[in-house]
Amino acid sequence: MSATSPALLAAREADAAAASAVKAHQAAGELEDARERYTELVGRHQRRAARIAYHYLRDSAEADEAVQDAFVKAYQHLASFREELPFDVWFTRILINGCLDRIKARTRRERWLVPMAGTRRPAGPSDGVPTERDMTERVAAGGQSPEQALLGRERRQQIATALSTLPERQRSVFVLSHVEGRTSREVSALTGLNESTVRVHLFRAIRKLRALLANDTIAAAPGELKGKRRVTS
Amino acid sequence: MSLLDRLGRGHLSDGQFARLWASGDRHPHLDACADCRARYAAFDGWLLDVGDTLRAEADEAFPAERLAVQQAQIARRLETLERPARVIVFPKAARAVISGHSHVRRWVTVAAAAGLIAGIGLGQVVPLRTVIKNQQAAVPNAHFNAPATVVRSNELTPATPSPGDDELLSEGFASPKVRNLSALDDMTPHARDYSVRAK
Repeated sequence: MSATSPALLAAREADAAAASAVKAHQAAGELEDARERYTELVGRHQRRAARIAYHYLRDSAEADEAVQDAFVKAYQHLASFREELPFDVWFTRILINGCLDRIKARTRRERWLVPMAGTRRPAGPSDGVPTERDMTERVAAGGQSPEQALLGRERRQQIATALSTLPERQRSVFVLSHVEGRTSREVSALTGLNESTVRVHLFRAIRKLRALLANDTIAAAPGELKGKRRVTS
Repeated sequence: MSLLDRLGRGHLSDGQFARLWASGDRHPHLDACADCRARYAAFDGWLLDVGDTLRAEADEAFPAERLAVQQAQIARRLETLERPARVIVFPKAARAVISGHSHVRRWVTVAAAAGLIAGIGLGQVVPLRTVIKNQQAAVPNAHFNAPATVVRSNELTPATPSPGDDELLSEGFASPKVRNLSALDDMTPHARDYSVRAK
């Protein structure tokens, strides 16, 4: 768990200044300036937002839409943004709520769909295997041999599958705190959970992931992680 | 090292590592036991690797080009928000049908309605059925009393009196009224001459 670093504090100050400027432009009716200033904020938080949405939705197209919707919504409701709260926390909350709404809508939709024989939806929240589209979107990192690329892809797939088996809250807490490097307090503000509850969810998520990925881990590094399986519950 | 050995010597389990990692605390056993310290370091490395893998996966799904496109789409959507919605008029007919500016149409409607109301009112006041019945009763009597030929002759008789044959043959009617035509008239045989001869 990372503490709030000076770089993060500086970034937050810049966010607060940009958000205030956008609000002022909106209030003055200078909409073009407001949009231009808001683009700064979009550029600063876009990558992080895409990651969060992707880990929630497990579908890049839907994550793309969720990110766009969240930025548009944040712009529309910027007047209600209070500067005491960091912009990224406020915005991430909007994004997460949007993602959860999408997951609910997807679950409702899929309730009425009968899966065809031999096909399954591979990238839902209940099933972390990436979709065919996602697979084609992925390209091997430069400099890797085909074997390494394949192994890397399999590993990603295993981790994604394990992550998707976690309960929703545990997954949210793990992604926000570990993948996005948020503190327990920030995750608490983002998810509306108690700080101690966040820690408990994080602990359970890690323990479960460890158990799920134990085989894979031992196969990947037998010398380094010898004997882990016997200890994990 | 077996589980019994580890428990007996108070070594930390993965669950405890997870708890330590989540809370950010430091267990005193880690300072004392080099084995557990190494295992915890491996655990930490594994967890970092998971995080890196997840980040890399998301970043691969969203390369820089895709983010640029996304940013452009967000900018476009924000711009669209500020423009009022444009209502496209349905071509031709819709305007004529919906238009409320046609005074003529309105007056025609009002006149038709007024006529209908007046007609109904009049129908209530005047006993039209009685009048029609009386007329129907009167018409057959008239036909019965008068001879059919008279009726026929009356119907065929024109309203204005036409000139008779004698009048047509008379000098005054047949002679030309225009002086220039008199010479021509003289050269032409007349019907009246034949009729005089025949008499």
